[in-house]
Amino acid sequence: MYVRALPTTDVNRNTEWFTYPGVWTTYILILFFSWLLVLSVFHCSPGIAWTIVHLAHFTVTYHSFHWKKGTPFGDDQGVYNRLTWWEQIDNGKQLTRNRKFLTVVPVVLYLIASHTTDYQHPMLFLNTLAVFVMVVAKFPHMHKVRIFGINGDQ
Amino acid sequence: MITIPYLTAVSTYFSYGLLFAFGQLRDYSRLLFDWWRTNNLQGYAPICLAHEDFYIRRLYHRIQDCFGRPISSAPDAWVDVVERVSNDNNKTLKRTTKTSRCLNLGSYNYLGFGSFDEYCTPRVIESLKKFSASTCSSRVDAGTTSVHAELEECVAKYVGQPAAIVCGMGYATNSAIIPVLIGKGGLIISDSLNHTSIVNGARGSGATIRVFQHNTPSHLEKVLKEQIAEGQPRTHRPWKKIIVVVEGIYSMEGEICHLPEIVSICKKYKAYVYLDEAHSIGAIGKTGRGVCELLGVDTADIDIMMGTFTKSFGSCGGYIAGSKDLIQYLKHHCPAHLYATSISTPSAQQIISAIQVILGEDGSNRGAQKLARIRENSNFFRAELQKMGFEVLGDNDSPVMPIMLYNPAKIPAFSRECLRENLAVVVVGFPATPLLLARARICISASHSREDLIKALQVISKAGDLTGIKYFPAAPKKQDEEKYGIKLD
Repeated sequence: MYVRALPTTDVNRNTEWFTYPGVWTTYILILFFSWLLVLSVFHCSPGIAWTIVHLAHFTVTYHSFHWKKGTPFGDDQGVYNRLTWWEQIDNGKQLTRNRKFLTVVPVVLYLIASHTTDYQHPMLFLNTLAVFVMVVAKFPHMHKVRIFGINGDQ
Repeated sequence: MITIPYLTAVSTYFSYGLLFAFGQLRDYSRLLFDWWRTNNLQGYAPICLAHEDFYIRRLYHRIQDCFGRPISSAPDAWVDVVERVSNDNNKTLKRTTKTSRCLNLGSYNYLGFGSFDEYCTPRVIESLKKFSASTCSSRVDAGTTSVHAELEECVAKYVGQPAAIVCGMGYATNSAIIPVLIGKGGLIISDSLNHTSIVNGARGSGATIRVFQHNTPSHLEKVLKEQIAEGQPRTHRPWKKIIVVVEGIYSMEGEICHLPEIVSICKKYKAYVYLDEAHSIGAIGKTGRGVCELLGVDTADIDIMMGTFTKSFGSCGGYIAGSKDLIQYLKHHCPAHLYATSISTPSAQQIISAIQVILGEDGSNRGAQKLARIRENSNFFRAELQKMGFEVLGDNDSPVMPIMLYNPAKIPAFSRECLRENLAVVVVGFPATPLLLARARICISASHSREDLIKALQVISKAGDLTGIKYFPAAPKKQDEEKYGIKLD
């Protein structure tokens, strides 16, 4: 089954890989396979496995999307050094398809994790905190906002 | 338009994710390991930030032996590639004294002027004896010889414009000329896959830059309409100048620019056209005059024609051709002309002699033969590769053909397998190409004979089977004479 790859107009090499076909599927498949991995390594219940996947997903994506700033390429000359990855994608345009997809994924993960653990404490508390932080960080109003100067520039 | 199998796209992303994860893991463990060791920086700041060269350290260095291979002979159809060994897993490579004679599919040697030529080389040696290797001065001080003046006239006549100016370095031609032509208050609309030299020149000029979708005249029209209606960024005043920058042949795709449509759109909206013919001058067109001749565009419609001499003419340097007023202005204002050392005289003589051979002014028809041969070679090679089931980009008649690899592991596998069979190919990955679209780029030359190409096809087919890059079904074997390939659009 073939798919056409149209060249993008995004000049930022840090984010233009997200505009090609196949990214969304890969993201979902990585989450599913990591659930299977956690199940086989820890021999826990499916609910605990989903909670672990959800919290690990929160840590990894918060760090790479909303904490790390700039690009891993020196010859971008630091034009993106004040922007996190989330603020760089789609050239800063809000509410694009990619952004909507990336907002929905943590919410769906939260629903799966809370459902499979039957909404018990303490997993419910941790999951809710994680999804709350994730979704608030992705609001259009939070574009380039640094609360209390956390992660701000010197 | 690139057609990827969906499974390949997903697996490529997955591979890059895995490589990225391992790279981060190694970085973290290096951080922990260095916690104990004292650094010997003596109070100085580190040269580069850890995250800025992550890609170079953790991905590029692992397959470093596929890039930057030194050669020890002229870049002809066959070339001596120096073998290198590494004792620390490709972090450093040492040259050995052994070389292997490989078929050269990586050099931009389109017309075969890259090695000894019976007309050009004696004249170059003569001019080397008469003028010496360097002029040791900039053009305005003492660096203009009769050869330089002859070269500029020759280039202007060849390209079909009233006047031309020549610069010593092709990259510097773009990055030094664009800031002179346009400044703050102007608008540069450039194709999304333009070369880094154009991007550097555009960034250095201070003008606003907008990008249009690669080779899509309808998107260019949309961007132009939008930008002209909006005006300058905050003041909304009309733009002082609009320049649209396109290339003749795009070096990573092998595609030829849709020049007639783009020129008609620019005429309609009164924007200037800047055409960078680095790969197309001398290589396409009936008499090698580039993409304008091939597509039937009048050269008077293109405001600024730029090109380099490194690809088809076997020399160095670049030129800008345009109206007499433009060239006069550039000669007074361009820093590459005023301050940079002029192109060395033997190199200039090589260009003049190469142009004379191409036009047949040396008394033989070798030029016409070379042009016919490169066209034949390119079309034959492309058709055969497509018949074998490879995904090959680029239009017909274009001597640049990238073969898609996609998966990051196939980049070193293909390259090393070809080198083992004495075939030197150039592989390109991220960040020179988009993340998903790694490729092996083949450059055909007029000095390749039919046997060379057949041998290359056999090696590539074998390497392709081993690495699994025949993404399309192979055409059924027929008892046919050669036919020309279909255009992939």
